[in-house]
Amino acid sequence: MRDWIQRILFWFSLIGIIVSIFMVFFYAPIDRNLGIVQKIFYFHLPVAITPYFAFLVVFVCSILFLWKRERRWDVIALASAEIGLVIDTALLVTGTIWDKPTWGVWWVWEPRLTTSLIMWLLYAGYLLLRRSVGEEARRARFAAVYGIVAFISVPISFMSIRWWRTLHPLVFKPTGIELEPPMIFTVFVCLIAFFFFYLCLLRQRIGLEFLKEGIEDLKDSLGGG
Amino acid sequence: MNYLRRILTIVGKDIAAEIRTKEMMNSMIVFVLLTLVIFNFAFGERFEGAAEASAGILWVAFLFAAVLGLNRVFVHEKDEGCLDGLMLCPVDRSVIYFGKALASLIFISVVELIALPIFAIFFIRTIFLANLWLLILVLILSNVGIAAVGTLLSAISINTKARDLMLPILFFPVIVPILIAAVKSTGLIISSPSFPEDVLVWLRMLAIYDIIFILVGFLTFEYVLEE
Repeated sequence: MRDWIQRILFWFSLIGIIVSIFMVFFYAPIDRNLGIVQKIFYFHLPVAITPYFAFLVVFVCSILFLWKRERRWDVIALASAEIGLVIDTALLVTGTIWDKPTWGVWWVWEPRLTTSLIMWLLYAGYLLLRRSVGEEARRARFAAVYGIVAFISVPISFMSIRWWRTLHPLVFKPTGIELEPPMIFTVFVCLIAFFFFYLCLLRQRIGLEFLKEGIEDLKDSLGGG
Repeated sequence: MNYLRRILTIVGKDIAAEIRTKEMMNSMIVFVLLTLVIFNFAFGERFEGAAEASAGILWVAFLFAAVLGLNRVFVHEKDEGCLDGLMLCPVDRSVIYFGKALASLIFISVVELIALPIFAIFFIRTIFLANLWLLILVLILSNVGIAAVGTLLSAISINTKARDLMLPILFFPVIVPILIAAVKSTGLIISSPSFPEDVLVWLRMLAIYDIIFILVGFLTFEYVLEE
Protein backbone atom coordinates (compact mmCIF):
# COMPACT_ATOMS: atom_id res chain seq x y z
CA MET A 1 0.00 0.00 0.00
CA ARG A 2 2.73 2.38 1.04
CA ASP A 3 4.85 1.58 -2.01
CA TRP A 4 1.90 2.08 -4.28
CA ILE A 5 1.21 5.61 -3.09
CA GLN A 6 4.90 6.47 -3.10
CA ARG A 7 5.24 5.25 -6.66
CA ILE A 8 2.32 7.38 -7.82
CA LEU A 9 3.75 10.45 -6.07
CA PHE A 10 7.14 9.80 -7.61
CA TRP A 11 5.87 9.50 -11.18
CA PHE A 12 3.49 12.42 -10.77
CA SER A 13 6.25 14.73 -9.60
CA LEU A 14 8.77 13.44 -12.17
CA ILE A 15 6.40 13.84 -15.10
CA GLY A 16 5.06 17.08 -13.62
CA ILE A 17 8.51 18.65 -13.38
CA ILE A 18 9.52 17.49 -16.87
CA VAL A 19 6.29 18.90 -18.30
CA SER A 20 6.78 22.16 -16.40
CA ILE A 21 10.33 22.56 -17.72
CA PHE A 22 9.05 22.09 -21.25
CA MET A 23 6.23 24.52 -20.67
CA VAL A 24 8.52 27.11 -19.13
CA PHE A 25 10.88 27.10 -22.09
CA PHE A 26 8.70 26.24 -25.08
CA TYR A 27 5.13 27.18 -24.22
CA ALA A 28 5.21 30.34 -22.09
CA PRO A 29 6.11 33.45 -24.09
CA ILE A 30 9.27 35.40 -23.30
CA ASP A 31 8.58 38.41 -21.13
CA ARG A 32 8.62 41.67 -23.05
CA ASN A 33 10.45 43.71 -20.41
CA LEU A 34 12.54 41.24 -18.48
CA GLY A 35 13.45 38.81 -21.25
CA ILE A 36 14.63 35.29 -20.60
CA VAL A 37 15.42 35.95 -16.94
CA GLN A 38 11.72 36.01 -16.18
CA LYS A 39 11.69 32.22 -16.73
CA ILE A 40 13.03 31.76 -13.21
CA PHE A 41 9.71 33.08 -11.95
CA TYR A 42 7.95 29.80 -12.82
CA PHE A 43 10.08 27.93 -10.33
CA HIS A 44 10.48 30.81 -7.96
CA LEU A 45 6.75 31.02 -7.17
CA PRO A 46 6.35 27.30 -6.33
CA VAL A 47 9.45 27.30 -4.12
CA ALA A 48 8.13 30.44 -2.46
CA ILE A 49 4.81 28.88 -1.54
CA THR A 50 5.98 25.37 -0.64
CA PRO A 51 8.07 26.33 2.46
CA TYR A 52 5.08 28.11 3.96
CA PHE A 53 3.03 25.01 3.41
CA ALA A 54 5.79 22.75 4.75
CA PHE A 55 6.18 24.82 7.92
CA LEU A 56 2.42 24.93 8.34
CA VAL A 57 2.57 21.13 8.34
CA VAL A 58 5.29 21.31 11.04
CA PHE A 59 3.06 23.59 13.10
CA VAL A 60 -0.06 21.44 12.79
CA CYS A 61 1.86 18.22 13.47
CA SER A 62 3.53 19.82 16.50
CA ILE A 63 0.14 20.63 17.99
CA LEU A 64 -1.17 17.17 17.14
CA PHE A 65 1.88 15.59 18.74
CA LEU A 66 1.49 17.49 22.02
CA TRP A 67 -2.17 16.63 22.02
CA LYS A 68 -2.18 12.99 20.90
CA ARG A 69 1.37 11.91 21.80
CA GLU A 70 1.65 9.75 18.73
CA ARG A 71 5.13 9.37 17.34
CA ARG A 72 4.08 9.70 13.72
CA TRP A 73 3.21 13.40 14.15
CA ASP A 74 6.73 14.06 15.34
CA VAL A 75 8.18 12.18 12.40
CA ILE A 76 6.02 14.11 9.92
CA ALA A 77 7.03 17.41 11.55
CA LEU A 78 10.72 16.51 11.28
CA ALA A 79 10.40 15.44 7.65
CA SER A 80 8.45 18.53 6.68
CA ALA A 81 10.87 20.88 8.46
CA GLU A 82 13.85 19.37 6.66
CA ILE A 83 12.22 19.57 3.24
CA GLY A 84 10.87 23.04 3.95
CA LEU A 85 14.35 24.23 4.84
CA VAL A 86 15.83 22.82 1.63
CA ILE A 87 13.11 24.41 -0.50
CA ASP A 88 13.49 27.67 1.42
CA THR A 89 17.17 27.59 0.48
CA ALA A 90 16.14 27.18 -3.16
CA LEU A 91 13.81 30.12 -2.68
CA LEU A 92 16.58 32.35 -1.34
CA VAL A 93 18.88 31.33 -4.19
CA THR A 94 16.35 31.84 -6.98
CA GLY A 95 15.21 35.02 -5.24
CA THR A 96 18.66 36.60 -5.32
CA ILE A 97 19.16 35.56 -8.95
CA TRP A 98 15.79 37.12 -9.80
CA ASP A 99 16.52 40.29 -7.84
CA LYS A 100 19.66 41.22 -9.73
CA PRO A 101 18.11 41.86 -13.17
CA THR A 102 14.83 43.25 -11.83
CA TRP A 103 15.99 45.49 -9.00
CA GLY A 104 19.67 45.84 -9.85
CA VAL A 105 20.98 44.39 -6.60
CA TRP A 106 21.35 40.86 -5.26
CA TRP A 107 19.59 41.49 -2.02
CA VAL A 108 16.91 43.89 -0.84
CA TRP A 109 15.67 43.96 2.74
CA GLU A 110 12.17 43.67 1.44
CA PRO A 111 9.47 41.99 3.59
CA ARG A 112 9.06 38.77 1.63
CA LEU A 113 12.77 38.22 1.14
CA THR A 114 13.61 39.04 4.72
CA THR A 115 10.84 36.82 6.02
CA SER A 116 12.16 33.89 3.96
CA LEU A 117 15.58 34.44 5.48
CA ILE A 118 14.25 34.62 9.03
CA MET A 119 12.18 31.52 8.33
CA TRP A 120 15.34 29.79 7.20
CA LEU A 121 17.05 30.72 10.47
CA LEU A 122 14.05 29.63 12.55
CA TYR A 123 13.90 26.16 11.05
CA ALA A 124 17.66 25.75 10.98
CA GLY A 125 17.37 26.37 14.73
CA TYR A 126 14.54 23.85 14.88
CA LEU A 127 16.72 21.15 13.32
CA LEU A 128 19.72 22.09 15.49
CA LEU A 129 17.50 21.78 18.54
CA ARG A 130 16.47 18.30 17.48
CA ARG A 131 20.08 17.25 17.10
CA SER A 132 20.93 18.64 20.49
CA VAL A 133 18.48 16.53 22.50
CA GLY A 134 19.42 12.90 22.92
CA GLU A 135 16.39 11.44 24.58
CA GLU A 136 13.63 10.74 22.10
CA ALA A 137 10.51 11.66 24.07
CA ARG A 138 12.06 14.92 25.22
CA ARG A 139 13.32 15.78 21.75
CA ALA A 140 9.86 15.36 20.32
CA ARG A 141 8.29 17.58 22.99
CA PHE A 142 10.87 20.36 22.69
CA ALA A 143 10.74 20.27 18.92
CA ALA A 144 6.95 20.47 19.01
CA VAL A 145 6.99 23.51 21.30
CA TYR A 146 9.57 25.26 19.13
CA GLY A 147 7.67 24.25 15.99
CA ILE A 148 4.68 26.12 17.38
CA VAL A 149 6.65 29.18 18.55
CA ALA A 150 8.56 29.45 15.26
CA PHE A 151 5.50 29.28 13.04
CA ILE A 152 3.56 31.84 15.05
CA SER A 153 6.45 34.28 14.84
CA VAL A 154 6.58 34.17 11.03
CA PRO A 155 3.51 36.34 10.27
CA ILE A 156 4.44 38.79 13.07
CA SER A 157 7.93 39.10 11.60
CA PHE A 158 6.45 39.67 8.16
CA MET A 159 4.20 42.45 9.46
CA SER A 160 6.98 44.11 11.43
CA ILE A 161 9.36 44.04 8.47
CA ARG A 162 6.66 45.48 6.27
CA TRP A 163 5.96 48.34 8.64
CA TRP A 164 9.68 48.85 9.13
CA ARG A 165 10.08 49.35 5.40
CA THR A 166 6.90 51.18 4.45
CA LEU A 167 7.33 53.96 6.96
CA HIS A 168 10.25 54.81 4.72
CA PRO A 169 9.77 55.81 1.11
CA LEU A 170 9.70 52.65 -0.95
CA VAL A 171 12.79 52.63 -3.11
CA PHE A 172 12.32 49.24 -4.60
CA LYS A 173 8.78 48.67 -5.63
CA PRO A 174 8.24 45.12 -6.80
CA THR A 175 6.31 46.06 -9.90
CA GLY A 176 3.35 43.82 -10.52
CA ILE A 177 4.12 41.55 -13.41
CA GLU A 178 1.39 41.42 -16.01
CA LEU A 179 0.84 37.80 -16.87
CA GLU A 180 -0.35 36.42 -20.16
CA PRO A 181 -2.80 33.49 -19.93
CA PRO A 182 -0.16 30.97 -21.12
CA MET A 183 2.13 32.25 -18.36
CA ILE A 184 -0.55 31.76 -15.75
CA PHE A 185 -1.26 28.27 -17.02
CA THR A 186 2.46 27.42 -16.93
CA VAL A 187 2.96 28.67 -13.40
CA PHE A 188 -0.11 26.72 -12.34
CA VAL A 189 1.34 23.51 -13.75
CA CYS A 190 4.67 24.24 -12.05
CA LEU A 191 2.87 24.76 -8.76
CA ILE A 192 1.08 21.42 -8.95
CA ALA A 193 4.26 19.63 -10.01
CA PHE A 194 6.14 21.12 -7.10
CA PHE A 195 3.42 20.23 -4.66
CA PHE A 196 3.61 16.59 -5.70
CA PHE A 197 7.38 16.77 -5.47
CA TYR A 198 7.05 18.01 -1.88
CA LEU A 199 4.60 15.23 -1.01
CA CYS A 200 6.89 12.67 -2.62
CA LEU A 201 9.91 13.85 -0.62
CA LEU A 202 7.86 14.04 2.55
CA ARG A 203 6.66 10.48 2.23
CA GLN A 204 10.13 9.26 1.36
CA ARG A 205 11.61 11.01 4.40
CA ILE A 206 8.93 9.66 6.74
CA GLY A 207 9.55 6.16 5.42
CA LEU A 208 13.28 6.63 5.99
CA GLU A 209 12.72 7.65 9.60
CA PHE A 210 10.58 4.60 10.33
CA LEU A 211 13.13 2.42 8.58
CA LYS A 212 15.79 3.86 10.88
CA GLU A 213 13.63 3.02 13.84
CA GLY A 214 13.15 -0.51 12.53
CA ILE A 215 16.91 -0.95 12.32
CA GLU A 216 17.32 0.25 15.90
CA ASP A 217 14.70 -2.24 17.03
CA LEU A 218 16.47 -5.01 15.14
CA LYS A 219 19.78 -4.03 16.71
CA ASP A 220 18.19 -4.12 20.15
CA SER A 221 16.69 -7.52 19.52
CA LEU A 222 20.11 -8.81 18.51
CA GLY A 223 21.39 -7.95 21.94
CA GLY A 224 22.15 -4.26 22.04
CA GLY A 225 24.85 -4.51 19.35
CA MET B 1 -5.68 35.51 44.00
CA ASN B 2 -4.01 32.42 45.25
CA TYR B 3 -2.55 31.92 41.79
CA LEU B 4 -0.94 35.35 41.86
CA ARG B 5 0.51 34.78 45.34
CA ARG B 6 2.12 31.54 44.18
CA ILE B 7 3.71 33.33 41.24
CA LEU B 8 5.03 36.06 43.52
CA THR B 9 6.51 33.43 45.85
CA ILE B 10 8.66 32.12 43.01
CA VAL B 11 9.60 35.67 42.00
CA GLY B 12 10.55 36.45 45.60
CA LYS B 13 12.68 33.32 45.80
CA ASP B 14 14.54 34.25 42.61
CA ILE B 15 15.10 37.82 43.71
CA ALA B 16 16.38 36.70 47.11
CA ALA B 17 18.78 34.27 45.47
CA GLU B 18 19.96 36.96 43.07
CA ILE B 19 20.49 39.54 45.80
CA ARG B 20 22.64 37.05 47.68
CA THR B 21 24.77 35.93 44.77
CA LYS B 22 24.48 38.99 42.49
CA GLU B 23 25.79 36.63 39.88
CA MET B 24 23.45 37.37 37.00
CA MET B 25 22.93 41.11 37.38
CA ASN B 26 26.57 42.02 37.79
CA SER B 27 27.64 40.23 34.66
CA MET B 28 24.67 41.58 32.71
CA ILE B 29 25.48 45.19 33.62
CA VAL B 30 29.16 44.84 32.82
CA PHE B 31 28.24 43.08 29.62
CA VAL B 32 25.94 45.90 28.48
CA LEU B 33 28.66 48.44 29.13
CA LEU B 34 31.20 46.34 27.28
CA THR B 35 28.88 46.03 24.30
CA LEU B 36 28.36 49.79 24.18
CA VAL B 37 32.11 50.38 24.32
CA ILE B 38 32.79 47.76 21.66
CA PHE B 39 30.21 49.33 19.39
CA ASN B 40 31.90 52.66 19.86
CA PHE B 41 35.18 51.15 18.67
CA ALA B 42 33.53 49.27 15.84
CA PHE B 43 31.66 52.25 14.42
CA GLY B 44 33.92 55.08 15.47
CA GLU B 45 32.08 58.32 15.85
CA ARG B 46 29.58 57.70 13.11
CA PHE B 47 26.71 57.30 15.53
CA GLU B 48 27.49 60.11 17.89
CA GLY B 49 24.52 62.40 17.93
CA ALA B 50 22.68 60.26 15.41
CA ALA B 51 19.94 59.25 17.82
CA GLU B 52 17.97 57.03 15.47
CA ALA B 53 20.98 54.98 14.51
CA SER B 54 22.29 54.70 18.05
CA ALA B 55 18.97 53.20 19.14
CA GLY B 56 20.12 50.12 17.25
CA ILE B 57 23.29 49.91 19.33
CA LEU B 58 21.27 50.22 22.50
CA TRP B 59 18.94 47.38 21.60
CA VAL B 60 21.64 45.04 20.41
CA ALA B 61 23.36 45.56 23.76
CA PHE B 62 20.10 45.00 25.63
CA LEU B 63 19.22 41.86 23.68
CA PHE B 64 22.65 40.33 24.18
CA ALA B 65 22.52 41.08 27.88
CA ALA B 66 19.01 39.62 28.04
CA VAL B 67 20.21 36.37 26.46
CA LEU B 68 23.02 36.26 28.99
CA GLY B 69 20.53 36.59 31.82
CA LEU B 70 17.94 34.28 30.31
CA ASN B 71 20.56 31.57 29.97
CA ARG B 72 20.89 31.60 33.74
CA VAL B 73 17.18 31.42 34.54
CA PHE B 74 17.15 27.67 34.96
CA VAL B 75 20.87 26.96 35.42
CA HIS B 76 20.84 26.89 39.21
CA GLU B 77 17.58 25.02 39.34
CA LYS B 78 18.96 22.42 36.99
CA ASP B 79 22.50 22.08 38.34
CA GLU B 80 21.55 21.91 41.98
CA GLY B 81 18.55 19.71 41.47
CA CYS B 82 16.10 22.41 42.51
CA LEU B 83 14.11 21.98 39.32
CA ASP B 84 12.76 18.68 40.62
CA GLY B 85 11.74 20.39 43.82
CA LEU B 86 10.10 23.17 41.89
CA MET B 87 8.24 20.68 39.77
CA LEU B 88 7.10 18.75 42.82
CA CYS B 89 5.42 21.87 44.15
CA PRO B 90 1.67 21.41 44.18
CA VAL B 91 1.18 24.25 41.71
CA ASP B 92 0.27 24.47 38.08
CA ARG B 93 3.22 24.47 35.67
CA SER B 94 2.11 27.85 34.37
CA VAL B 95 2.78 29.28 37.85
CA ILE B 96 6.44 28.33 37.45
CA TYR B 97 6.46 29.84 33.99
CA PHE B 98 4.95 33.15 35.06
CA GLY B 99 7.12 33.31 38.18
CA LYS B 100 10.30 32.74 36.21
CA ALA B 101 9.25 35.10 33.42
CA LEU B 102 8.36 37.84 35.88
CA ALA B 103 11.69 37.46 37.68
CA SER B 104 13.56 37.69 34.36
CA LEU B 105 11.47 40.70 33.43
CA ILE B 106 12.55 42.45 36.63
CA PHE B 107 16.23 41.57 36.20
CA ILE B 108 16.33 42.69 32.57
CA SER B 109 14.48 45.92 33.36
CA VAL B 110 16.82 46.85 36.21
CA VAL B 111 19.87 46.27 34.03
CA GLU B 112 18.37 48.41 31.28
CA LEU B 113 17.50 51.23 33.63
CA ILE B 114 21.10 51.31 34.85
CA ALA B 115 22.50 51.15 31.32
CA LEU B 116 20.17 53.73 29.79
CA PRO B 117 21.72 56.90 31.31
CA ILE B 118 25.20 55.64 30.43
CA PHE B 119 24.08 55.04 26.88
CA ALA B 120 22.68 58.57 26.75
CA ILE B 121 26.00 60.02 27.91
CA PHE B 122 27.99 57.94 25.43
CA PHE B 123 25.94 58.27 22.28
CA ILE B 124 23.31 60.98 22.36
CA ARG B 125 24.35 64.59 22.44
CA THR B 126 20.95 66.22 22.71
CA ILE B 127 18.54 64.41 24.95
CA PHE B 128 14.83 65.00 24.79
CA LEU B 129 13.44 64.02 28.13
CA ALA B 130 9.93 65.12 27.22
CA ASN B 131 9.02 61.60 26.14
CA LEU B 132 10.81 59.69 28.87
CA TRP B 133 7.61 58.01 30.00
CA LEU B 134 7.10 56.81 26.43
CA LEU B 135 10.58 55.33 26.41
CA ILE B 136 9.86 53.55 29.69
CA LEU B 137 6.69 52.16 28.11
CA VAL B 138 8.68 50.86 25.14
CA LEU B 139 11.18 49.25 27.49
CA ILE B 140 8.45 47.56 29.51
CA LEU B 141 6.55 46.28 26.47
CA SER B 142 9.73 44.98 24.84
CA ASN B 143 10.93 43.34 28.02
CA VAL B 144 7.62 41.56 28.53
CA GLY B 145 8.00 39.98 25.10
CA ILE B 146 11.67 39.15 25.67
CA ALA B 147 10.92 37.56 29.05
CA ALA B 148 7.87 35.65 27.76
CA VAL B 149 9.71 34.08 24.82
CA GLY B 150 13.07 33.87 26.58
CA THR B 151 11.85 31.99 29.63
CA LEU B 152 10.11 29.38 27.51
CA LEU B 153 13.13 28.88 25.25
CA SER B 154 15.52 28.96 28.19
CA ALA B 155 13.65 26.04 29.77
CA ILE B 156 14.13 24.18 26.49
CA SER B 157 17.79 25.04 25.93
CA ILE B 158 18.86 24.16 29.48
CA ASN B 159 17.83 20.58 28.77
CA THR B 160 19.79 20.24 25.52
CA LYS B 161 23.34 19.06 25.06
CA ALA B 162 24.48 22.42 23.70
CA ARG B 163 22.87 24.32 26.60
CA ASP B 164 24.07 27.97 26.48
CA LEU B 165 24.75 27.75 22.77
CA MET B 166 21.20 26.75 21.98
CA LEU B 167 19.34 29.72 23.46
CA PRO B 168 20.61 32.49 21.14
CA ILE B 169 20.00 30.29 18.08
CA LEU B 170 16.42 29.66 19.13
CA PHE B 171 15.80 33.08 20.62
CA PHE B 172 17.05 35.67 18.11
CA PRO B 173 14.98 34.72 15.06
CA VAL B 174 11.82 34.64 17.16
CA ILE B 175 12.55 38.02 18.75
CA VAL B 176 13.07 39.88 15.44
CA PRO B 177 9.70 41.74 15.61
CA ILE B 178 10.55 43.02 19.10
CA LEU B 179 13.95 44.20 17.92
CA ILE B 180 12.51 46.05 14.94
CA ALA B 181 9.71 47.69 16.91
CA ALA B 182 11.95 48.59 19.86
CA VAL B 183 14.70 50.10 17.69
CA LYS B 184 12.23 52.08 15.60
CA SER B 185 10.26 53.46 18.51
CA THR B 186 13.33 54.22 20.61
CA GLY B 187 14.86 56.06 17.66
CA LEU B 188 11.71 58.11 17.18
CA ILE B 189 11.39 58.92 20.86
CA ILE B 190 14.95 60.04 21.55
CA SER B 191 15.19 62.12 18.39
CA SER B 192 11.93 63.99 18.68
CA PRO B 193 11.19 66.86 21.06
CA SER B 194 7.43 66.40 20.73
CA PHE B 195 5.19 63.36 20.80
CA PRO B 196 6.09 61.20 17.79
CA GLU B 197 2.86 59.97 16.19
CA ASP B 198 4.56 57.12 14.33
CA VAL B 199 5.47 55.45 17.59
CA LEU B 200 1.90 54.25 18.11
CA VAL B 201 2.25 51.71 15.29
CA TRP B 202 5.24 50.18 17.03
CA LEU B 203 3.67 50.20 20.48
CA ARG B 204 0.74 48.29 19.02
CA MET B 205 3.12 45.82 17.42
CA LEU B 206 4.90 45.25 20.74
CA ALA B 207 1.60 44.79 22.57
CA ILE B 208 0.30 42.27 20.02
CA TYR B 209 3.55 40.33 20.20
CA ASP B 210 3.45 40.29 24.01
CA ILE B 211 -0.12 39.03 24.18
CA ILE B 212 0.47 36.28 21.62
CA PHE B 213 3.66 34.99 23.19
CA ILE B 214 2.46 35.15 26.78
CA LEU B 215 -0.41 32.98 25.60
CA VAL B 216 1.90 30.60 23.71
CA GLY B 217 4.21 30.33 26.73
CA PHE B 218 1.30 29.74 29.07
CA LEU B 219 -0.09 26.96 26.86
CA THR B 220 3.16 25.18 25.98
CA PHE B 221 5.32 25.52 29.09
CA GLU B 222 3.82 22.48 30.77
CA TYR B 223 5.09 20.33 27.90
CA VAL B 224 8.63 21.59 28.36
CA LEU B 225 8.80 20.78 32.05
CA GLU B 226 7.32 17.35 31.98
CA GLU B 227 9.03 14.25 33.52
